[in-house]
Amino acid sequence: MIEITHLTYTYPNATRPALEDITLQIGDGEFALVAGLSGSGKSTLLRCLNGLVPHFSGGRINGRVTVGGHDPVAEGPHTLSQVVGFVFQNPEAQFVLDRVEDEIAFALENSGLPRTEMRLRVEEALDLLGLAALRNRQLEMLSGGEKQRVAIAAALALRPRVLALDEPTSQLDPQSAEEVLQALVSLNRDLGLTIVLAEQRLERILSHADRLIYLPTPNGCEPRGYPFSGPPREVLQAVEQVPPLVALGKALHWDPLPLTIKEGRACAGQTLPGQTWAGGAERASAPCHNARPAGDLPLLRVRDVQFGYNGAAVLRGASLDVHAGELVTLMGRNGSGKTTLLKCIAGLLRPRQGTVDLAGETLLGRETADICRQVGYLPQDPDDLLFADTVADELIVTLRNHALLAHPPIAPDALLARLGLTGVASAYPRDLSVGQRQRVALGAVTVTRPRLLILDEPTRGMDYGAKQELVRLLREWQAEGTAILLVTHDVELAAEAADRVAVLSQGQVIADAAPGEVLGSSPLFAPQIARLFPHTGWLTPQDALAGLARIA
Amino acid sequence: MMLRRAISGSIYVLSGAIGFLAFLYPFFTPLQGQSSMVTGHSQDAPIVTVALVALSLIALLIELQGQAISAKTVAMLGVLVAITSVLRFIEVVIPAPGGFSPVFAPVILVGYVFGGRFGFLMGTFTLLASALVTGGVGPWLPYQMYAAGWVGMSAGWLGWLVRRGPKRHGDAGRTMVRGLEVLLLCVLGFIWGLLFGAIMNIFFWPLATGPADQTWSAGTGLVETLSRYGVFYLATSLGWDLVRAVGNAALILLLGAPVVRALMRFRQRFQFEAIPDA
Amino acid sequence: MLDARTWLAWALTVLVAASLARNPLYGLLLLFITWVVYALCSSQQSRSAAFSPVRLALWMILFAIIFNGLTVHLGDTVLFRLPAWLPLLGGTITLEALIYGVTNGLALAAILSGFATINRVIPLRDLVQVTPRAFHEAGVVLSIALTFIPQTTRSLTRIREAQAVRGHRLRGLRDWLPIVVPLLVNGLERSMGLAEAMVARGYGATADQAHPRRLQALLSLGLLMLLGGWGSRLFFPTWRWPASLLMLGGAALVIIAAWLTGRTVQRTSYRPHRWTVWDGLALAGCALTLAVVVLPLPGLERASLGYSPYPRATLPAFDIWIGLGLLGLLAPAASLFGEPSYDRDHASDVHVS
Repeated sequence: MIEITHLTYTYPNATRPALEDITLQIGDGEFALVAGLSGSGKSTLLRCLNGLVPHFSGGRINGRVTVGGHDPVAEGPHTLSQVVGFVFQNPEAQFVLDRVEDEIAFALENSGLPRTEMRLRVEEALDLLGLAALRNRQLEMLSGGEKQRVAIAAALALRPRVLALDEPTSQLDPQSAEEVLQALVSLNRDLGLTIVLAEQRLERILSHADRLIYLPTPNGCEPRGYPFSGPPREVLQAVEQVPPLVALGKALHWDPLPLTIKEGRACAGQTLPGQTWAGGAERASAPCHNARPAGDLPLLRVRDVQFGYNGAAVLRGASLDVHAGELVTLMGRNGSGKTTLLKCIAGLLRPRQGTVDLAGETLLGRETADICRQVGYLPQDPDDLLFADTVADELIVTLRNHALLAHPPIAPDALLARLGLTGVASAYPRDLSVGQRQRVALGAVTVTRPRLLILDEPTRGMDYGAKQELVRLLREWQAEGTAILLVTHDVELAAEAADRVAVLSQGQVIADAAPGEVLGSSPLFAPQIARLFPHTGWLTPQDALAGLARIA
Repeated sequence: MMLRRAISGSIYVLSGAIGFLAFLYPFFTPLQGQSSMVTGHSQDAPIVTVALVALSLIALLIELQGQAISAKTVAMLGVLVAITSVLRFIEVVIPAPGGFSPVFAPVILVGYVFGGRFGFLMGTFTLLASALVTGGVGPWLPYQMYAAGWVGMSAGWLGWLVRRGPKRHGDAGRTMVRGLEVLLLCVLGFIWGLLFGAIMNIFFWPLATGPADQTWSAGTGLVETLSRYGVFYLATSLGWDLVRAVGNAALILLLGAPVVRALMRFRQRFQFEAIPDA
Repeated sequence: MLDARTWLAWALTVLVAASLARNPLYGLLLLFITWVVYALCSSQQSRSAAFSPVRLALWMILFAIIFNGLTVHLGDTVLFRLPAWLPLLGGTITLEALIYGVTNGLALAAILSGFATINRVIPLRDLVQVTPRAFHEAGVVLSIALTFIPQTTRSLTRIREAQAVRGHRLRGLRDWLPIVVPLLVNGLERSMGLAEAMVARGYGATADQAHPRRLQALLSLGLLMLLGGWGSRLFFPTWRWPASLLMLGGAALVIIAAWLTGRTVQRTSYRPHRWTVWDGLALAGCALTLAVVVLPLPGLERASLGYSPYPRATLPAFDIWIGLGLLGLLAPAASLFGEPSYDRDHASDVHVS
C-alpha cells in the first residue's frame, strides 16, 4: 500500500535534512505506529504521504513515495485527499465551519460531488465514528475527543484508503484519548483501513499495532542500519525510550516482550511462579519518596475553597497543603476543577469562601500581578506568554512588570543557564522548539524567585526526553526550597516526580497521600507497573526491579 | 503580459474613479441643479451611487480573487478578520469616546506588511464580518467595505514604497522597524480616520437632507452646497472623526512597531509561500 | 422561514421604495409596514440587532426635521425668524422646511427599519451561505472568521491571564501590547494549521488558475461603461436616456463577469437553498411594490410620489393604488403561516448582545 524508498527531505530554511534516506513499506490494512523523539521527523514523514510535504511546505525532496499507486509528490494534496485522510494534532485549528455535519461535508464540497452523493457519504462518516447523535451540535461545544472524532469523520468522508494521524491524542485528556484510539482500532479492524499513527504515549496503543516505525533523532546516537520498522516487539528491543512495562520486560529479559498488562502478568507468573500480588508483606518493601519531617508548617495552605460559575459549583470546599521543597501533583478527571483551583490560588479567580495562605499571609483579595511575585504560574499554553523579541527580553519584561529590574532576585543570565537556554538567549522565542519555548515561559515566571511554583499540565505532547528534563529542573528548584504544585493527567510523571499526590473529585480533595498509596490503588490513576504488581506500592520500573531483587 | 497588467490596472483605476465620483457627487448636483425640475430622477441618486459603489466593489473583488488565492491566504484572512472583530467588541467594553474604532489600525498594519491586495481584502472582509456580527448591515455597507478596502490597499502601497526606497539592509532579514515608518503609518491612520468619516458622511448627507432639488428656486451654487455640507459635517461627525483619527494614530504610534515586527517575522517564517503581493 | 436572499431582496425594495416615494404619507405607510414585519417575524431566537428600529426611527425623524428646518430658509409659511447674522441658521424657519424634514426622516427611518429587520431575522450562517459562487472564497473567509471568533475570545482571556501572572497590569494603551501580539501571532500560527487541514481535505485546486484575460477585459469594459454613463448623466443631463442605458449595460457586463467567474468554481453546496411558496409570495410582493413605484403604469397618480411642500405647504396627495402596491412589502409576514424549518437549530447560532 505504502512504499517509501530512499526518502530525503529538507525544509526550506533548514541546514539539516528532516528525513534522511528513509526506506520502508506499510502493507494494506496494517496499523502502523510511528514513534520517535521530538524533532525526529514523525510529522514530516506523515505529511509526505499525502503530498503536504513538499507542496504545502516547500523545501527539497529526494526519493520516491508511492501511496496506493499514487505519487504524492507529483500529484499533490488535492488528488491525494481522496487516497489519504489526514488528522492533525490540535483539535481547535482544523475546523472551517461550526457545525459537525457541515464540517464533514466541507471536504465533499471541495470535490464537487453531487448533493445526493454528499448526503450519503456524510451519513456514512457519521455512523463510522458513532457521531450521529452529535450531528447538529456546535463544534466548539464538543469535548476534545469528540472534536478529534469529527476530524476523523471529515477525513473519512472522501473514502480514503489510508488514514494518517499526527499525534491526535497529545492535546487530549486520557478519557478522550482512549475514545479516539478505540475508534481507530475499530476502523482498522472492521473496515481494513490502513492507519499510520504518530504517537508519543505508545503504551496506549502498542498492543493493537501491526508495525512499529521508530525514527532516529538527527544527532542520533543510534547506529546506522537501525532496525526501525517491523513488528513492535522487535523494534522495541532496540529502542531506548520505551513504556515502563516494556522497560521492565527488557530488564528482566522477558520473551516475548509484554505489551499489555495481561501479557505482563503472564510473564511475571512465569518468572516468579507462586507469587500472588495480593498485598501484605510486599507493602513493607515499598520505597519512600522524600520522607517529610513531621511538624513542618506548610508553605501553601488552602482551606475549604468554594467556587462556582453561573450557579454551578465547581469547588466545594477543597483543601490542600504544600510544604517548602515538596512536589505535589494534583490529579482528577476532566472538569473536576483542577485548573479552577490553581486560578484561585493565583488570584485569577476569587473564591466565594475559604482561605488561601502563603507563608502565613493570605492571598485572597490581592491582585494577581502582586501575588505572582511570590507565586510562579506556568499556564497550559506557554505561547500565551511569549511576545518579546528575544528570549532574554522575556525575562526582563517580567522583571520590569514587577519593578525588579534594578535588583533582580536572580540574575537573568544565571536563570537562562540553568534552563539550558544560554545558546538561544538572543533568538526569537517563537522560532524555538516546543520544549524550549516552555522553558522560556518557565524562566519568565520564575525570574522573581517565587516560593511556590504552579504548573498546569506541563507535559502535554512532550516526549520522554523532554519530560526527564523538566523533572530534573523541578528537582533543582525543590532542592532550593521552592514548593511545587503540579496539575497533570500523566500518571507516569506523577509516579516519577511526586512527593505527594492529591486527587480532586466533585470539587473536593478526596485523597492526599504518598504516591504509592494513591496511585497504586486507583484503577484510573495507576501507572503500568502498579497495575502489573498491585498493592505493592511499586510505581516505576526501578521500584519493581529493586523490589523484585529484594524478594528474590 | 503587459496587456494583462494594463487591463488589471485599468480595473483599479476605473473602480477608484467611480468611488471618487461617488464620494463627490453631491457637490456636482448644483451644477445641474439649475435645469433639474422636481422629477423622479434626482431622487434616485442615492440608490444609484450605492449600486455603483457595490458594482465597483464587486469588480475589484473579482479582480483580486482572480490570481490564485491559496488556502493559506484564506485561512490567514479568516483568522485576522476574527481577531479584528473581537477587538471591535472590546471597543464596547472600554469606555472610549464615540468614533474610536480599533478596526482600522490592524487593517493598516496588516496591509503594510502583507501588501496591497491582502490589505484590501482584509479591510473589506473585516467590515463585512463586523457588520454581520454586530447586526449593522445596511445600505451603507458597500461604502464601508469599499472604503475600508482602500485603507488596506493604501497601506500596502505605502509598504511597497518604503521597501523600494534606499535599501540599507537586505530585505529578507530585515525586521527592524524604523521610526520613520511608524510615523508614516500614523499619518496614514490619521488621514484615513478623517477620510473614512467624511466618506460615510457624504453617504448619509443626501439621505438625511434629501435631494438637492429643494433649493431649486434659490439658484444655489457650488459654494453654497459646500457650506451646507460643512455644517452637516460639523454637526454630525467632525468630533467623532477627529477622535477616530487621533485614536488610529495613537494606536499605531504605541503598538505599531512591535506588531509590524511580529507580523514580519511571521511572514519570514512562511515566506516560501507566495503570499501574493499587490 | 424565508431564504436569506428573499430577505435581502425585500430590504433592497424597501430602500428603493423609500427613496423614490418622497411623500410623507407614503413614508409613514412604509415605516409602519417595516415595523409590522419586524414585530411579526423576529422571535426570541433571532439575533439581537444593534439598534431598535422604533427608537432609531424616531431619532432619525427628529434629526432630519431639526436639521432641515433650521438650515433651509425657503417656503412661504414662516413660523419664526432667527437673527440673520447666524451662519447658515439665520433666516426664516418655515413650516415647509419642517415638513420637508419630516418627509426625509420618514424615508430614512423606513430604510433603517427594513435593514434592522433583516439583521435580526436572518441567521448569521445563512448570510454567509448566500455568497454567490464567484465569491466563494469570500464565503470561506467569512465562515472561518465566524468560526474563529469564539476561539479568539477565549484566547484573549487566556492571554490576559498569562500576562497577569507575570505581573502585567492593564493600565494604559501601551499595556495592550503583550496581549495583542500573542493574540495575533498565535492566531496566525493557528491559521497555518488550518490551511494545512484545508489543503489536506482537497481545498484549493482550482485556485491555481488565473482568470482569463477575457474576463478581466469584460470587467474593465463594464466599469468604463458605468463610469461613462454616470458621468454623462451628471454633467450632460440632456443625454439622460442613452447615459442610463450605458450604465445599465456596464452593470450587466460586471454581473456577467461575476457569473462567469462563478462557473469556473468547482464546488457544490451541501445545504440546498429551498425555495418555498412563501419565498415566491414575498418576492411577488416586492415586485408589486417596485412596479408601482418605478414603472409608469396607467391609472396611477405618479405625481404623488414626488411631493414637494414648496413654496407653500399643501396636503400631500395619496394615490390609493400606489398605497396598496406598497402593501406588497408585507408579504414576508405571510411566511409565519408556513412551517418553521427544522433543519437548523436557530437557538444555537452565534448570539451577539
